[in-house]
Order: sequence, then C-alpha cells, then structure tokens
Amino acid sequence: MKGKAGGPALVTRMPINFTAAFTKVGNSIPGRRSIIMDRHHDLYKQNIKGSVLVFPACIGSTYTGMVLLELMYGGNSPVAIVVQHADSLLVSGFVLADVWFDCGVPVVEYPSDDIYDLIKNGDNVEVNGDTGEIKVF
Amino acid sequence: MKLDPELESMLAGESGNAAALALETLVEYGKNFGAQRMLPIKSAHLAGTFGIVTYKAYYKILDQLVKDGLKVKVPTTTNPRPGADFNFPNRIAFIRQKKLESSFEALGVTPNFSCACYEGSNEPNLGDAVAWAESSAVQFANSALGARTNRHSLLIDACGAVTGVTPEFGYMLDENRRGKILVKLDVDKMDPSALGFIIGREVVDMVPVVENFDIDRVGLKNMGGAMAAAGAVALFHIEGVTPEAPDMKSAFDGEPEKTITITQKDLDSLRSAEPEKADVVIFGCPHMTLDEATEIAGYFEGKRSKKPVRFCMIPSHLEKFTKTDAYGQALAAGIEFYTHCPLAAYTVQLGRKRILTSSGKLYYYLDGTEYGNLEDCLKACGV
Repeated sequence: MKGKAGGPALVTRMPINFTAAFTKVGNSIPGRRSIIMDRHHDLYKQNIKGSVLVFPACIGSTYTGMVLLELMYGGNSPVAIVVQHADSLLVSGFVLADVWFDCGVPVVEYPSDDIYDLIKNGDNVEVNGDTGEIKVF
Repeated sequence: MKLDPELESMLAGESGNAAALALETLVEYGKNFGAQRMLPIKSAHLAGTFGIVTYKAYYKILDQLVKDGLKVKVPTTTNPRPGADFNFPNRIAFIRQKKLESSFEALGVTPNFSCACYEGSNEPNLGDAVAWAESSAVQFANSALGARTNRHSLLIDACGAVTGVTPEFGYMLDENRRGKILVKLDVDKMDPSALGFIIGREVVDMVPVVENFDIDRVGLKNMGGAMAAAGAVALFHIEGVTPEAPDMKSAFDGEPEKTITITQKDLDSLRSAEPEKADVVIFGCPHMTLDEATEIAGYFEGKRSKKPVRFCMIPSHLEKFTKTDAYGQALAAGIEFYTHCPLAAYTVQLGRKRILTSSGKLYYYLDGTEYGNLEDCLKACGV
C-alpha cells in the first residue's frame, strides 16, 4: 500500500474475480501469469503487469488474497492499483505481501464513479500509496 | 487497536517469529477496516488445500508456521482435495499436494477435506464468531447459521487459526449485517443455484434480502455458493427462512436502499440451449450432501445414464452413502462418485469436454461449462 509508482492505466468498470482471472491453465506458462483469463470479464486476455489497474472491486473466491500475493511476489502485478472499494480480500493480498515479503505495491481507494472520467485507458498515471494522491498525465 | 496482554506478547515474538507475523498480519488487516479490537474465534476453515505447482509465496508462509511448531488454537477444518490422482495432468498440476497435506497435519487441522464443512465437521451456532475462508462456506455460516465471519483470504485463514483471533470489523458487527437490497421474485420454477448467481452479479457485495420462498438447507448451500462466486456477497437473508430475518422488518435497518426483481426469464437466461450435447454432467459444487446425493441418484434408479455423470461429495457423507442400497443402484446407473473439488480436478483437461452442471459456482469458474437446472441435467443423462 506504500510508496509511489506509475504506468499506463488499464481501466474496467467490471469488478474483477482475481481467482477466475489468474488461476487458469493458460496462466501457468511463465510470461502469461499476468494475463486475465476470466472469460466472463471485459478485460479477458489483457495483461495487467506493469499497468496502473483501475477497477471497482474484487469479487469471487477467497483465493484472491493469495492470488494477489503471488502476483506481487512473482513481479507480475500491476505497478499500482486504484480501486473504488478495497474489500477484505483485496486488503489481505497487500497486507500479506507487505508483512511477510515487503513486496506490496501502492493501492489507493477512490470510491467515486468520477474516477472513470478522470482516468481513461492508456493514460499515464502515477499513484502515491502513502498520501493517496493520483496524478494523471 | 487495543490488544490484551497475551496478544501483545505474541506480537512481541514471545511465541516465535511466525506467530508474531501471523498476528501482525491480522492487526494490519483489521486496521484497514477500523477494527478496534480482536475477537476470540470458535473455529477456522482453511481454503488453500490445492498443492498447485506454480505457487511459491503461499508455501513459504505455511512452512514458516510449521517450522516454528505452531498448532491451530481452535478446531480448524479444510477445503476439498484437488483430485491430484484423477488424471495424469493433475499429478503435475498438484505436485505439491503431499507436502501441503503434511503441513496441515503438522498444524493439527481436522482433515475433513470438504468446502461444506458445516455439514458434520464444523457447525457454528447463531452469533458465534468464527474466521473462515472459502466464499461458499462463509456464505453458509453467515446466512444459514447466523454465525459471524468476514470473507477471509487464504493465509488470513491460517493466521486466524494459529492465533485464535480475528479483527472486529465488517460482518462481525450488527450494523453491517442488516439488509441493503430487497430482492423480489417473479418466478414459477425456482432454481436456487441460478438465483444465487444472478443475485451475486446484481448486488456485488451488498447484503440482499430475498422475499420468502421455499428453500431447504441444500438449496441454501447451492444458492450461497453461486452468489459468492458471481459476486462478493458474504451474507444474504431470506424472509422467514434465515435466522436473522424472521420478517422483513428485522432484516432491514429501516428502508431498503434498492429493490430489484428477478424473473423466470433471468433464471432461464443462464441455461444451456442444448443440454443434451454435453459430454459429461457434473454435480457437487459446493460438495453434495448425503441427502442431496440420495435425492438426485433416485432419479436414475432402474435406468442407465446416457452420459458420464459425476457426483462430488463430502467425504464423510460419501462414506455413509456407500453403506446404503441406493449406492449400488447409483453405480449401476453409471454414476461416478468422487470427493475432490470439481473445479480443481477438471480445470486441467486435455481435449475439450463439454461439461453441463447444475452448479452456478462451477459454471462461473470452469471454462467449457454450461449451466443446466436439475431437469436439464437429467435430460442430458437421458433419465
């Protein structure tokens, strides 16, 4: 949740089921760990690695905290996250990454729907996990 | 957050480094949600029972707990096995299964190996504070039993089990357990699994209250499983059915924020157009109970299924079932019985099999799966 990071925004208005997205057979190949493989999702087949991921909330399995942890531990995660609602599963992943391995990436919670007017897909975004500041270039 | 002296000393490392990190994890986790204190828990449930080959951080954390000689402080049940022996690809995908299970044994967990842990292995009472992972089990504990748990992730579940506490936030608090969304029904032919799927998708993470309809314990299990997969719902109420909703007034704190209506058309929208084209029919996500298996096997009595059909059951319930006459008849009809998790067991498949399932949860997660209600599934089997 700490520190600053920036990258190209990857935006979705659909809640993300991280388990459905990243625990498919297609993800087991190195280089494909960060590709969204949830066929029900808008971002199906998109790569989250290196992006600033902007989304409403997590849904689905309680595997999610561990999935997020493994993405961060393996260097396959977004560089930062902007989420409208940080639920217990999202927070778990980041706390586990920070407490056990010091590898958590910055997260900012931004509840308002106007985030989708402020950040468009592909925008260059910088996130500060300590101050909660989001800069869009 | 205020911690009692015993927890303070655990945090300071008096019970070893791993216990300190486990408690620190829970403290940081709870702080994010404004938790003021830790609550002692009656039980835990661990969801991470698949020894998946690609994970690293997961095993590193569990190994630390085991190395420090930690034992679970409360009765702790476990999710299903992944079916590592089901076929050759699974043997590779779940190559760490034996090592994982020996870690669980070292921690002192109850080896029930079922997501439906509340059916005979871990049944909390109304108001009990527990700390469970497994979204379908969390649903059941909160909704059907009126116990209290948040949606805990893998590893948070283990941290709770070895420390015996959970931070007080979210669904542990009265005010967060009241309904937010009223769900009205315009349905002739009820299908709890489909209903759960659609409610989950519509309400995402709010607490829905469904108007009264006829549903049993098995229906609650299947509805909740689907709701927690298609959405992030941890608690739902059904007027006059679930313990915290004897009537609409008790279920809500004032007026509902929103009202939605689910129609027959909504339920039917999930169903496969061609159920008879399925290659295999799967039941049991969450795991089937003895009653459920007996009822569905009953439809096959004296007949032979046209397609392979698999029942995934709670291990202790399958054991009971094998002692009945119905079991022999079910085998004669071509039903295959397993105790693995169908999602884990059938994810790695060589060759695309077209699967039909009456499980809303399995339909969400497993690629190549189509949904069918009980009638569709029986039709596909030709019984």
